[in-house]
Amino acid sequence: MCGIAGVIYKDRKSHPIGEALTSMLESLQHRGPDSAGYALYGSLDFPENYYQLNIQVNRRKGTLDNLKSLLSQITPIFEEELIRSVGDSDVYKCKIALDEYSLLKPCIREIDELDDVRVINGSHSFEMIKDVGKVKDIAERFDVYNRMGTHGIGHTRFATESGVDRYHAHPYQSYIIPDITVVHNGQITNYWKIRDPLERKGHTFESYNDTECIVHYMADKLNQGYKLEEALDQAVIDLDGPFSILVGTPNGIGIAKDKLGLRPGVMVETDEIFAVASEEMALHDVTDSDEIEQIAPGETRAYTI
Amino acid sequence: MDEYVIDAKGMDVKELNRTIKRQAKEHDCLIIDNPESEHNICAGLTGEVDIIINGSAGYFVGTMVNGPKIHIKGNAGWFAGDNMTEGELIIEGTAGDGAGQGIYGGTVIVKGNTGSRTGEIMKGGTVIIGGNSGYMTGLLMMGGRLIILGDVTDDVGESIMRGTIFVLGEVKSLGKNAVMDEATSEDIDDLREILTEYGFNLSDDDYSNFKKIVNM
Repeated sequence: MCGIAGVIYKDRKSHPIGEALTSMLESLQHRGPDSAGYALYGSLDFPENYYQLNIQVNRRKGTLDNLKSLLSQITPIFEEELIRSVGDSDVYKCKIALDEYSLLKPCIREIDELDDVRVINGSHSFEMIKDVGKVKDIAERFDVYNRMGTHGIGHTRFATESGVDRYHAHPYQSYIIPDITVVHNGQITNYWKIRDPLERKGHTFESYNDTECIVHYMADKLNQGYKLEEALDQAVIDLDGPFSILVGTPNGIGIAKDKLGLRPGVMVETDEIFAVASEEMALHDVTDSDEIEQIAPGETRAYTI
Repeated sequence: MDEYVIDAKGMDVKELNRTIKRQAKEHDCLIIDNPESEHNICAGLTGEVDIIINGSAGYFVGTMVNGPKIHIKGNAGWFAGDNMTEGELIIEGTAGDGAGQGIYGGTVIVKGNTGSRTGEIMKGGTVIIGGNSGYMTGLLMMGGRLIILGDVTDDVGESIMRGTIFVLGEVKSLGKNAVMDEATSEDIDDLREILTEYGFNLSDDDYSNFKKIVNM
């Protein structure tokens, strides 16, 4: 089933985005009990070409040391933190610097070649937090309540087509252009028809999850010069299956619903915020407005700051 | 009227519905505060009782009810009034997809707009939408009466088998098996009676402009 939620503050100022999205996702917990995740934009205030890496590290002795040894050969490490998580692995978070953005993906690939290590994401303007378990537990584990930012998207996952683990939790990110994320409720039934041309263009896939396919599709369109609204409109034409897609970019969020309207989506816009969610109850966590709008089949809505 | 207030804040839906069922036997009217868009409110409720929901309700509000009159002061999620046998569900705001789906009897009224597939597979009763209705309104309808005072989008009455759809506003397109028919004076009288009963004040011109959609 899955739940999606997003909110953007129109004044472009920093707000308690972690607390807001956590409330929304808790209201959508019943739609996805497996895992949850966030993309919190504006929560990192990094100089140009500084990035945050989130890396899953097995607790086996020596794995973290091997990772740090490799990382220090690639880049200086400015800040680091090990977050205790569930299962047999933890999340190692660090701040690094690269000469340019195009080196981020090769850096991630090099780290991924280590045994028992997997990069969850690398980002400049947003922080990705995702894990297995309930929203409240994840929010406490990663101190989400104290995160400030301008906008964000989030997800509660009811897995239907791929594994229940930290990597397959949403959001998914593309590296075609910086800091594009997607959360999704639904299934893409023409997955290979979308994936094949993207791979022929040289875009690499890390999983068989349809949400990863959507994020590369969206990033590819934005890279071609489409505006967010235009890319979402094109997605409604190109993607088949039941879906509600929520996209995050460094300066906006946007939602698209499939042509038959088989997955839910509601939105609210006030003087202060633009917010979308799978269900109305999540919108009431961020607004007192009763002006809730149903997003129609095939409709797209976006807001950029 | 004997009223009883239930504060639903923090209640899970099982606890809320058990409280509603218990108190409905003791009181004429239940007022539910802080519904917090919870799903399945009043599911399976039977008997003659007035329910006022002060706020919005989630999915399947009033599903499978037989008898109660439910009045929602806010919005409703998907499938409001689903499979109602008898009773009344009035929604002051908007409703999501599938409002009034599968009802056998009773009346579902949405004063604002609705999403897609309004009144799908309804078998009897009446659904009234004060605003616009979305894609495939009246999908697979098998009976009853669906009245839309605003506009409807594509494929109205898709695969309709029986029943009647009346639309006052624009009809973007008809679905398969749906055709336009001439509204009779008896139809107009029936529309005037029920719409007046529920406070919709239409002019004589409006009544003469209703489009009637039935199966082929």
